[in-house]
Amino acid sequence: MKKLQLRHLAILALATAFGLAGTLGARAETVKIGLIGSLTGPHSGWDAPASEGVHMAVNEINAAGGFTVGGKKYTFAIAEEDAQSKPDVAAAAAQKLLSDDNIHVVFGILTSTPGMAAAVPIGKAKVLYIGGFTSLDTLIGKPGNELFFRALDSDAIAAGPFVQETIKEFGVKKIGMLLPNEDVSKSIVKTYQPLFEKAGVQVPIVEYFQPGTSDFAPVLRKFQRQGLDGLFIGYSDPDAEAIVRQSLEVGGLPTRFIYRGGSGAPAAKYAPRIDGFAWQILTRDLDTTSDAKVKAWIDRYKAATKKDVTATTYWALTFYDTLFMLSRAMEAAGSVTDAKAIAAKLKGMKYDGVRQMQLDPQGFARTDIDIGFIKGGKTYSTPAHIQ
Amino acid sequence: MWLDIVQTASDGLMVGGLYASVALGITLVFGLVGMLNFAHGQMVMLGAYVAFFTTAAGLGFWVGLGLAIIAMALFGALLERAVFRRTLSDPMMGLTVSLGLIMIIENLAAAWFTPDPRFMEPPLSGDVRLGPLVLSSQRLLVMALTTALIGGFYLFLKATTLGKAIRAMAQNRQGAALVGVKVTRVSAVIFAIGSGLAGAAGALYGSLFAISPFMGTAPLMKGFILAAFGGLGSVPGAIIAGCLLGLAESFGSRYLSASFRDGYGFVVLILTLLFMPNGLFGKRKARV
Repeated sequence: MKKLQLRHLAILALATAFGLAGTLGARAETVKIGLIGSLTGPHSGWDAPASEGVHMAVNEINAAGGFTVGGKKYTFAIAEEDAQSKPDVAAAAAQKLLSDDNIHVVFGILTSTPGMAAAVPIGKAKVLYIGGFTSLDTLIGKPGNELFFRALDSDAIAAGPFVQETIKEFGVKKIGMLLPNEDVSKSIVKTYQPLFEKAGVQVPIVEYFQPGTSDFAPVLRKFQRQGLDGLFIGYSDPDAEAIVRQSLEVGGLPTRFIYRGGSGAPAAKYAPRIDGFAWQILTRDLDTTSDAKVKAWIDRYKAATKKDVTATTYWALTFYDTLFMLSRAMEAAGSVTDAKAIAAKLKGMKYDGVRQMQLDPQGFARTDIDIGFIKGGKTYSTPAHIQ
Repeated sequence: MWLDIVQTASDGLMVGGLYASVALGITLVFGLVGMLNFAHGQMVMLGAYVAFFTTAAGLGFWVGLGLAIIAMALFGALLERAVFRRTLSDPMMGLTVSLGLIMIIENLAAAWFTPDPRFMEPPLSGDVRLGPLVLSSQRLLVMALTTALIGGFYLFLKATTLGKAIRAMAQNRQGAALVGVKVTRVSAVIFAIGSGLAGAAGALYGSLFAISPFMGTAPLMKGFILAAFGGLGSVPGAIIAGCLLGLAESFGSRYLSASFRDGYGFVVLILTLLFMPNGLFGKRKARV
């Protein structure tokens, strides 16, 4: 009897072991991707929605059964760290992600100060990095950074259509430029000033203010009595709102604002009192869209996050399509770990997602954007096609 | 040219008045009571939020201003009683505690109010035109209010019994105690007044500029500069230093470079302290 029981037990153990192995064989393996961003602090307005977009894309890819590489099914898993809007924390968060040997791809960060700090350890680790911050443009394409990609258009790409559309919409002839005294601002001026001048718009005054300035009245006085009909301002929402508000207070200034930033929120309250406000929607306009793909994405976003769309939600589209591109690149490369091979497949890839995405051979994105306008108290957007 | 100078001067005096009201609180609490409260800037921030939420609730700016003053005066009195009175004998402990308070208050504010900057609806909009001179109505109102606040406080010091007790304490703390001034009680009142001034400065600051949990740092730093610049414990010193700092920043930003804005004040401070080591109005002893 005891022998019989032992035999039954052995058969049961073997059956269980084989059963488990069979189940594991059918179950998809996991590709862990690192996600870093400022989920808290002043930069969270950019990175928190971007993080939502990554989670959304991963959930959708996984729910659809994942992707197949070398005959094996894979799904994505996310390891996420908060950069807290601080460069030192961003660098430490990147280090923490990179200490995990299973992470070969890192996404995230839309603002330059923490972004540059995180890019240093990521670059050294030779993992594939897909970021969004402006200063990433100075790193992409340089030797040693072949695995860096930016999921948003660089200024060099987006500036042309933005300048063209704003001149067409506002009819400006003479503008001043006012930006914070930071490296990014210098590169913005270097890109935009010649474009305006080439289009016949005079730019007689360019001023930089101390980052963190709250009282703009003295510097705004420099723009009075210059015969200006527009102000080009940048590039954070709090600065832009303070400039719009204080321009109205100080008086004698143009009230057409060309904002090299990503939201119409700074001017929303002042819409009836200003002549115009233009901004770049570096992904897609979610507020006044008529595009069916965008509308369907908004429905999925609401269902996934249980939240309504706000002025900053469109940043959730920053990495959304890129996740689908990554899964395709892994399939084409036949590897989920060979960062070089995956990067090679991403370069030159086109993807017709919620955005029309293309990554050029250097790693820059070339995507169609929308340009938002507030004019005559109305808010609307115009699509700008990137050549 | 003169028009530009007058407008720039008015901008400088307006912001200088705000600086002076913060510096007054610091010079009172640090200069007279000897309590080092680095969390003074956070009281400015909390005052701004009180005014913002009151205004947003539809009660109006004036109620917001009043509530900001009262709330911060009460908060100051509570802090003095619960924390700073115990650190009076050990300045290092006071310093540590107030630095800790900055972290606690700022992070709680960031958690409750979110780090997003907010803009308060000002009671006045538009501008006032005096011939070719264009001045912002709200900025003129803030300038008038800070002048009234500082003037009222100066009269309080000169004309009331409590004001006299504060002045007596400023001259000689022990002597004042010997002639019957209740030093502990007066210290608490000074702390509450200083905090109330911070609340008022916050409400006025918030009527012009963005309100955020991290907005207290700049007023705090400038307040301490001004307290030293004007002469520690000197009320006229804090007022004049505030106006000079505002003018230096305004003229520097207008005619030199706006990217060095905060630096102009330090240049003026260093030059002043080189030639007047006790500040503008500081003598061997601080005076009111």
